[in-house]
Amino acid sequence: MEGYLIHLLILIGIYLILAISLQLAVGFAGLLNFGHIAFFCIGAYTSSLFALNGFPFWLCFLSSGIIAGLFGFLLSVPVNKLKGDYLALATMGFSFVIYAIALNWTSLTRGPLGLPGIPKPSLFGISFSNNFSFLILTAIIALISCLIVKKITTSPFGKVLEAIRDDELATRVLGKNTFKIKTYTLGISAFFAGIAGSLYAHYITFIDPSSFTLLQLIPVLCIVIIGGLASLKGTILATIILVLLPEPLRFIGFPSSIVGPARQMIYALVLLLILLYKPKGFYGKIELE
Amino acid sequence: MIILQLLINGLIAGAIYALVASGLALIYSVCKFVHFAHGVTIAFSAYFLYFLFSNLGLNFGFSVVLSIIFASLFGYGINFFVYKQLRKRKASSATLLIASFALLIFFESLILILFGADVKTIGFIKIAKGLEFFGAIITPLQIFIVLTSFVLFGLLFFFMKKTKIGKAMRAVADNKEVAEIVGISSEKIYSWAFIIGSVIAGIAGILVGLEQNLEPMMGTNLMIKGFTGVIIGGIGSVPGAILGSFLLGFAENFGIWFLPSGYKDAIAFVILFIFLLFRPQGILGSRKRI
Repeated sequence: MEGYLIHLLILIGIYLILAISLQLAVGFAGLLNFGHIAFFCIGAYTSSLFALNGFPFWLCFLSSGIIAGLFGFLLSVPVNKLKGDYLALATMGFSFVIYAIALNWTSLTRGPLGLPGIPKPSLFGISFSNNFSFLILTAIIALISCLIVKKITTSPFGKVLEAIRDDELATRVLGKNTFKIKTYTLGISAFFAGIAGSLYAHYITFIDPSSFTLLQLIPVLCIVIIGGLASLKGTILATIILVLLPEPLRFIGFPSSIVGPARQMIYALVLLLILLYKPKGFYGKIELE
Repeated sequence: MIILQLLINGLIAGAIYALVASGLALIYSVCKFVHFAHGVTIAFSAYFLYFLFSNLGLNFGFSVVLSIIFASLFGYGINFFVYKQLRKRKASSATLLIASFALLIFFESLILILFGADVKTIGFIKIAKGLEFFGAIITPLQIFIVLTSFVLFGLLFFFMKKTKIGKAMRAVADNKEVAEIVGISSEKIYSWAFIIGSVIAGIAGILVGLEQNLEPMMGTNLMIKGFTGVIIGGIGSVPGAILGSFLLGFAENFGIWFLPSGYKDAIAFVILFIFLLFRPQGILGSRKRI
């Protein structure tokens, strides 16, 4: 029971980083990014591949964020002019391409077989091999991520982001380089998704492309919208609720072949109900444009 | 003749994508948002046929008709219970997009629970030996698919140009406010767009179900391909969507000449990407909004 609780808390930590980084892009900058899971995937694979080649954890961890961030940076250049549903589709296309590469570049990723035996992290001689210590590591990283995102959003840079979301043209008129700011934002958002991916890979110790499909986007997107756009408090609350929400299914005694889809159904249903009846989520300041 | 075979494969893939894309483009042009759950209408119709014909053992023709009716009711129901409610409170097209994405995942998971993850075959058509044209092979069913799609596009074209509802649809697609001023109820037209789009989706589902196997996620994949076709051809233009889908079908099948076949799906996205970047209005579309 205790082990199970720790497992849930670790998941909450990883989802929190993932959701808060998506919140930065969707809620604050108004960039409807449907390709967030791709950055998560890039982070997970980068970290795993480095770790399996014997590099120390801190290097794997940082490079997962940096490489994912780099991809975010690169992706933002071509999609910079797109908005709303077009942006959503272009980023979703990106996510499918990354998935196809993970599945087909077998000499690097072993394709559908996945990468087993990813080592548990160790830092400064401390090993995080048991779940409790891993939880502490996750909690610290999640906390730091939240603080950084909070710092970004309350800084003048964050205000410009919200201005871009509300009226990009007006922001440009005020002399802000919106192109550059959006690029940075997507890069930062991808960086955090990447480190979440690294944590995930080192926690589960096995990754394969099926963990990074479009289906995985639903819970994260759900958290962002239920928590409310541009609200960090809401995101944290929604992460806790949504990670715990489908857990009772496990205890009802459904077979695992039903639990998986049932989880997705619950997330999808919650997302629909929120959009229908409480479109601003818990603490949202604005509605989706 | 490898080129001829690729050409035929491209034509078949294109016909299937175009069936998906035409319904999607119709709904997009009238309602102005991306109806992702269109993919699950297709999957539902295929699974419904499987249920009626292979599980219950009903007559095949009767099952087909029921499946198409089911698909149209499904599309109508989604519009009525979800999209209409969202429109009532003036939700943005991005909100509708997310809602339709949630619907897609919801119903796909439902199929997964109801029918299981294993691949199903309808098994109406016995595996027939393909006909040979100069060394390229095409099965009778594939010829039927291509022909059906052309007949449907003809009917759709006639419907949009000649009937009262078709004209009203084009009016709403063009300018909703003006259409309402002259007495066209836009909500009613939205319902019609969903019904007709879903009938086409239902037919597409049945044809795909007969040609390939059924799997719960088949809708997402087809939906993405259909959507890519829509973007290539010009969003909001039904003829453009059909043209774009055939181009995509050819591009994919010629692409795997150079690339491993696992990258077939990635080709679609690269094309989608290129068009979104350089010509977001597509080949035939007009540049109204991006």
